[in-house]
Amino acid sequence: MIVTGKHISRRTLLRGLGAAVALPVLDAMAPALSKAADVTKKVSPNRMAFVYVPNGIDMRNWTPEALGRTFTLPKILQPLAPVQDDILVLTGLMDHNAMALGDGPGDHARASASFLTGVHPKKTAGSDISVGISVDQVAAQKAGKATRFASLELGCEDGHLAGNCDSGYSCAYVNSISWRTPTVPNPPEVNPRAVFERLFGSDEDGANPAARIRNARLDQSILDAVSDDTRRLEAGLGATDRRKLDEYLTAVREVERQVQMVEKQAAENSLATPNMAKPDGIPLDYAEHAQLMFNLMTLAFQTDLTRISTFMMAREGSTRPYREIGVPEGHHGLSHHRNDPALMDKIAQINTYHMEQFAYFLRKLKNTPDGDGSLLDHTMLVYGSGISDGNRHNHDDLPVLFAGGSRMFRTGRHLRFTESTPVANLYLSMLDAMGVETAQLGDSQGRLNYLSDLT
Amino acid sequence: MTMAGKRLLIGFGIAALASGQTAFEQNVGAIVQRNCSMCHNDKLKTGGLVLTKYHDTAAMLQDRAVWEKVVARLRAGEMPPKGMPRPTPEQIASMTGWIEAQFAEQDKSAKLDPGHLTAHRLNRVEYDNTVRDLLAVRFKPANDFPADDSGYGFDNIGDVLSVSPILTEKYLAAAKKIAAEAIPMGSLPKPTRTRYSPEHQFNDEQLSLEHAFDLPAEADYNFRASVSGRKEAFVIRLELDGEAIETANVIIDPNKPRQYEAQLHVPYGEHVFKAILTSRDPTPEEVAAAQRMAAKEQAQIEKQLAAHPEDAAEIRKQHTLASPPTYIDALEIQGPFHPLPPPLPESYRRIFVCGHAPGHHTNECARLDLAHLAKLAYRRPVTDAEVSKLTKLVAMAQASGLSFEQAMRIGVEAILVSPNFLYRIERDPDPTTVHPVSDYELASRLSYFLWSSMPDEELLRLADEHRLCEPDVLRAQVRRMLQNPKSDALVDNFFGQWLELRNLDSVSPDPDQFPEFNNQLRSAMRTETRMFVSSIIHDDRSILDFIDGKYTFLNEKLAKFYGIPGVKGDQFRRVELTGTQRSGVLTQGSVLTVTSYPTRTSPVLRGKWILENVLNAPPPPPPPGVGSIDAQGGVVHGTMRQQMEKHRANPMCAGCHSRMDPLGFALENYNAIGKWRTEDASLPIDASGVLPNGRKFNGSAELKEILAGDRDAFAECLTEKMMIYALGRGLEPYDRPATKKIVADLAVNDYKFSNLILGIVDSVPFQMGRGDGGESK
Repeated sequence: MIVTGKHISRRTLLRGLGAAVALPVLDAMAPALSKAADVTKKVSPNRMAFVYVPNGIDMRNWTPEALGRTFTLPKILQPLAPVQDDILVLTGLMDHNAMALGDGPGDHARASASFLTGVHPKKTAGSDISVGISVDQVAAQKAGKATRFASLELGCEDGHLAGNCDSGYSCAYVNSISWRTPTVPNPPEVNPRAVFERLFGSDEDGANPAARIRNARLDQSILDAVSDDTRRLEAGLGATDRRKLDEYLTAVREVERQVQMVEKQAAENSLATPNMAKPDGIPLDYAEHAQLMFNLMTLAFQTDLTRISTFMMAREGSTRPYREIGVPEGHHGLSHHRNDPALMDKIAQINTYHMEQFAYFLRKLKNTPDGDGSLLDHTMLVYGSGISDGNRHNHDDLPVLFAGGSRMFRTGRHLRFTESTPVANLYLSMLDAMGVETAQLGDSQGRLNYLSDLT
Repeated sequence: MTMAGKRLLIGFGIAALASGQTAFEQNVGAIVQRNCSMCHNDKLKTGGLVLTKYHDTAAMLQDRAVWEKVVARLRAGEMPPKGMPRPTPEQIASMTGWIEAQFAEQDKSAKLDPGHLTAHRLNRVEYDNTVRDLLAVRFKPANDFPADDSGYGFDNIGDVLSVSPILTEKYLAAAKKIAAEAIPMGSLPKPTRTRYSPEHQFNDEQLSLEHAFDLPAEADYNFRASVSGRKEAFVIRLELDGEAIETANVIIDPNKPRQYEAQLHVPYGEHVFKAILTSRDPTPEEVAAAQRMAAKEQAQIEKQLAAHPEDAAEIRKQHTLASPPTYIDALEIQGPFHPLPPPLPESYRRIFVCGHAPGHHTNECARLDLAHLAKLAYRRPVTDAEVSKLTKLVAMAQASGLSFEQAMRIGVEAILVSPNFLYRIERDPDPTTVHPVSDYELASRLSYFLWSSMPDEELLRLADEHRLCEPDVLRAQVRRMLQNPKSDALVDNFFGQWLELRNLDSVSPDPDQFPEFNNQLRSAMRTETRMFVSSIIHDDRSILDFIDGKYTFLNEKLAKFYGIPGVKGDQFRRVELTGTQRSGVLTQGSVLTVTSYPTRTSPVLRGKWILENVLNAPPPPPPPGVGSIDAQGGVVHGTMRQQMEKHRANPMCAGCHSRMDPLGFALENYNAIGKWRTEDASLPIDASGVLPNGRKFNGSAELKEILAGDRDAFAECLTEKMMIYALGRGLEPYDRPATKKIVADLAVNDYKFSNLILGIVDSVPFQMGRGDGGESK
């Protein structure tokens, strides 16, 4: 397959190279492209983000009737009206590996674990969790090198609950959608203040670049010592213990990379600064919480602290009630609606409420200028769930929405795919656009067709 | 045994022998053939179980877990199900007895295997407690860490605790913060504003509020309380460490800000600031003001009602929310102003053990201090090479322009992010053999089990002397550790997770249906269960008290909620429960609330909770393709029970639900927040039930009698759960002899709690280890 230059804006391509010839994107091309772009305007990097909603969707009020460009937004999608041209409703996709496949119940855990990995999680409540690397982390391994944070994992619901999480599946599967390796989840941060401090440093870091450079160098030495300690410790340990310590070693290297980047940026006086006040903590109001997190994600993209992010509107199987919109019942319980229309309407209400927050995010990205367009033009977003109907727990006909990324894909349409098209195919196409060509992700069977008029 | 039964058995035995069958077929196979094979054959595989494929003892022992379940279900009378032909009780006794004899035989000849503990990253609680005990820091750094994943119901499972880059970033940030607090740089603290304002629901009663503030220096401070709601007349009293510092009238006035403050010069350290409201008679002016406010509000409501008559209920509700009853909203301290230099913190003394005055340390101190700290932090002796690496870092930091003390911070940071600190790692001198763990490893196993923290100096000293492994010394240490307040960690972490008490913080009962449930009630429920559990630990009571201990700990609020008279005031005290509707943990508000949905009770959740946490017989999850039998929080019609029984008509579900639901029904007299009731949806509550073995009961008291009668099931359940927690790993078949022995010892020691702890500490899996390669699977 010929991969087109959809990871950069078409307009830049035309301006910089004179003609829109379909060229394979190669690493070696990148310097040439950015040089070309410098002449006109700085090339905006491509970003990607994945937003997960739990417990399935009331599909009656999700799937538009008409296909193509002129479709009416059903109730749940209505908050997207102002940005309808920036979305692609992708109907008919499937997350095959969320199905039981002989493992019995546990659809919630499997849905969140497989949604971005395309891999069937190992059924275990304990010692040997294993799924696959998620799409965001595949991208982060390569595209993440350019930024201080390879990726940013956010969420609105903390994961520390007592008891078993879902029918014999470890809580790790429902708490995280991002998997750094098949055995190491990236837990989401739920406190906006902590996210802010992570991105922009805490007060005590000080603003003096010389002090920051010195601190970064000292950190570097500490981390060197830690790596050395870890390697020494590993000698003489068995395989399981070594694997545990390898996790730490890998994580330490990633932090070392961040520290080096801080040092470099401090030296260049190009450390990112926020244009918002530091949040106090987790707001009581759900909408306020979600919007604050989306603001932080916007800021992280805008300041190029990261290009890759995941966001969990709530953990899979969430039992949170949404009283502020008149739903006192827990979300998960309600999702077992037994096709009772009154209960399904309440599910639709929650679904719409979540969508309102996502719509806020899209508008925010659209209103943030970036390069030759808006941040939304350069950000590919996926919004969806690994469960279709919360009552049936089916994993085909998934609610999946693509948004933004209008420089990569042709948005503003409703597409229907043949049954059992893996949702992972979408991710392969997105990875292409990120410049991280990947042959296979989980159960993918190739790229997703019709996303762009360039393919 | 009846004569008929005996004859049957004898006749059966002879017939079997005559046909040359194996011992297995004689003792088990024949009954399986006759009573089990119609469902559990390789075609139907009912419940995923095939029993017809077993033909000899070896095959049975290979699938021991399966056969242990078979024994349990037969003993409980749950199988064969009602309506199917059953073997006689004598036949069942003989068959299960024979099977267990084979298990015992297998255990006797089994190779001793204590299992291996995987390198164990400290979880959040362990991290906080460890830095508290290491450096006496006064904050909880792990509040910023991502949540730990749990396995087997606990969040201290070594295999599950992983490390992500974000956690590593946080470790580095926490290490800096800790080192900065531990080694202060002598600069005077700047004035700041510290506010304490707990989350407030409209129905919370917050007429007093107190909080312990940590003041950074001796200085002048402003102590301020703010009050919300303006409809009633009060007197407010501000107290510091129990002494009144200000008294003022809280006046009914629509405009006046309701803030009250006092200025005071206060010494460094922790101080308890409290504000209390007491009501008083309003003055005539206030009565008039209150009337004017009420009239104005009424006019607003009427205006809104006229515009939107359809939203009447909502409009009234909004107004109630907008003008709540008066409560103390926040406590705030501003300062320090004109501070005196603060004394050196305890942490400073702990780090600089070389004994010089601040500012007069010599470079040799680095080696001495860091060697001392590293030994405590790594919980074992350190090598010269390890210390040299730390001193090199300090020297390098000094070379980059930092003072000695500043540079020592770098050394402390390096210790706190070292894997030797963050992980508990056990060494195997010879990975192929089973061996006792070292004294240091034993010290850490003990301290993280009982304290969720590092070993203290006494434990490390005994390890230095190689005496901790002596049985008498070890037992004395366990008793000492249980009496130490640090053993509250066992209440919060083991019991908090076993009883699912931690979930009490996140439940949110529907305020429309349960207006009584507010944060005060939530916290009273938590305190009740914590104190109840603590009393079992500290008074060394029987673990059976968990099921039907006829006492608890209540304050006035909770006693009223339970309908128990004669308890006055906020203080919790021990209350006898004989003659009440409550006993043990099952009927405590906390457990009843965490096993309910926000809008209603769930007999399924409660039944499942009892099966999992009391009877050690967790139900299998529903088969694939079958929806949840319980509407799970949805709206229901009729009593909960009627709904459930309708669902149970489905034979796919009946098998397990006939075990689960009756247990839950017994608790139907307690609503979704644990309040006693006799009606549900205006229909009388029916709390009777029949267990699959035919035993009948009515209500929670009779159910508890049955549960308490089955002592060994409960003892085994608690032992296994606590063993998982103590080891930080799931249990394997090779752990069975150890847990069985503990249960047997409990039975002959009146089920005293200390026997449970001592039994675990004495056990092979706790005392011994092996390499992680030689797993005997």
